[in-house]
Amino acid sequence: MLTVTDLQVAYGEIQVVWDVSFSVPEGSIVAIIGPNGAGKSTTLKSIMGLLPLKAGEISFRSETIVGAPSYEIVRAGLVLVPEARATFSTLTVLENLELGAFSERARPHRHETIGQVFEIFPILKDRQSQSAGTLSGGERQMLAIGKALMAKPELLILDEPSLGLAPLVVERIFEVIEEINRQGVSILLVEQNARLSLETAHYGYVIELGRIVNEGKTEDLLQDSRVQDAYLSF
Amino acid sequence: MSSVLQSILSGILVGAIYGLAALGLSLAFGVLKILNVAHGELIMVGGYATFFMFTLLGVDPFLSMAAVFAILVVLGLGLHTFLFRHIVTLDEENRIKNSLLIGFGLTLILHTLAVRLFSADDRSIFTDYSTLAWTVGPVRFPAVKVAGLLIAIVAVLLLEFFLTRTYWGKALRATSEDWVMASLAGIDIRRVYFVAFALSAGLAGLTGVLISVGFSINPSIGLQWTLKALIVVVLAGLGSIPGTLLGGLLLGVAEALSSLQFGGEYREIVGLVLFLIFLSFRPQGLFGGRHA
Repeated sequence: MLTVTDLQVAYGEIQVVWDVSFSVPEGSIVAIIGPNGAGKSTTLKSIMGLLPLKAGEISFRSETIVGAPSYEIVRAGLVLVPEARATFSTLTVLENLELGAFSERARPHRHETIGQVFEIFPILKDRQSQSAGTLSGGERQMLAIGKALMAKPELLILDEPSLGLAPLVVERIFEVIEEINRQGVSILLVEQNARLSLETAHYGYVIELGRIVNEGKTEDLLQDSRVQDAYLSF
Repeated sequence: MSSVLQSILSGILVGAIYGLAALGLSLAFGVLKILNVAHGELIMVGGYATFFMFTLLGVDPFLSMAAVFAILVVLGLGLHTFLFRHIVTLDEENRIKNSLLIGFGLTLILHTLAVRLFSADDRSIFTDYSTLAWTVGPVRFPAVKVAGLLIAIVAVLLLEFFLTRTYWGKALRATSEDWVMASLAGIDIRRVYFVAFALSAGLAGLTGVLISVGFSINPSIGLQWTLKALIVVVLAGLGSIPGTLLGGLLLGVAEALSSLQFGGEYREIVGLVLFLIFLSFRPQGLFGGRHA
């Protein structure tokens, strides 16, 4: 569904992503794990059209999305939940959700989709007229995911959804991710929390210093001694 | 005592126009992150449009308001297409810097054009109701300027309605808070920028109407109005529409009272002093949120 081939990304002279290739098959959950600064967020930004590529190819549903503006990529059904619980803090919860459905494919269904999001996250319904800035960290992450669901994604990318959240909230978020996947949405999960993401995903990639250094089915990666030493031991 | 009341009233009446001028400037600044120093020149163009529609076509200035708004919206779309559109893809620091360069260039062009085309003379619109006024107790209410205040209030309410109740308005606020996140939400921010800049120019046109009918215009008024608008934006802070109008009223009253107390030559100083005080001690302004 999403195929990234030999991606090279640089900030000016400094290249941070080298020959990165991976794919997300339709209906699956794919995880990319790796330490802070490995190039995970940079890769996601270039997929979403926020950073220019130096070289490489990104295709979604067999069509190239290189050079397309972000809103067109979103309209095609590729939606990112950015890291750090990104919500519009001066807008209300309801306004945040409404704006999530801005693209033409999602807007006509927005009242129906809001109902579905409120079913998944009932707390957002209770808080709908509060401004997003007054929510707790966990609630804001739920809102960020809810906002992304409003765009009716076919592939949902989550950048560090567990970062800085309490364990119980993280558990709930990952349950929701699996639930969304069961409803037919493909998932790309980018995480530092390696164990949880490998347990959730079907296929995984390990990225270090801007290069993919390992990949495989998640049950194999969980057994892999290098992965265990670097990411799973405490 | 009566002169104090009269001063406060005339401060409020001119302050409404300061507020309206600031509203347009802060809309472009808040959403596009550009500082359009030619905003005052757009106001001047709006003033001349009103003046010529009145003198050449005999259209009442209050009736020509919609047409002037439309003319400035079209002018704004043109300016954005040819000039500002190219800098709104830059990072915020470079947007501000480049918008200053473009704005100053535009200021010179519009000013020179106006001198060539319209001459440097002061112009004002004189209608049969220009001298109409009501006297309540010791205070005299000039009808034209009171109408200006009412129009400014209606404009504020309409803009507030647009920004909080309509889909495009919400998209404007979202883009103003975080344009990267707005584009990730599927918002076509290039269109948002067009809408915001056109609306900002339209508001400049409206401001020009009120100035031409309540005060006077000439090709050099631009800088003065940009300056007033800038002071009000700093005074009120970004993000609150009614707050911006209130900031304008405050500046108007402060000017009027200081010129009553110290003489007219000090009138221009009070705004600049407020400007410095606010920048030093309360840079977010009176009504600005955390994003100011």
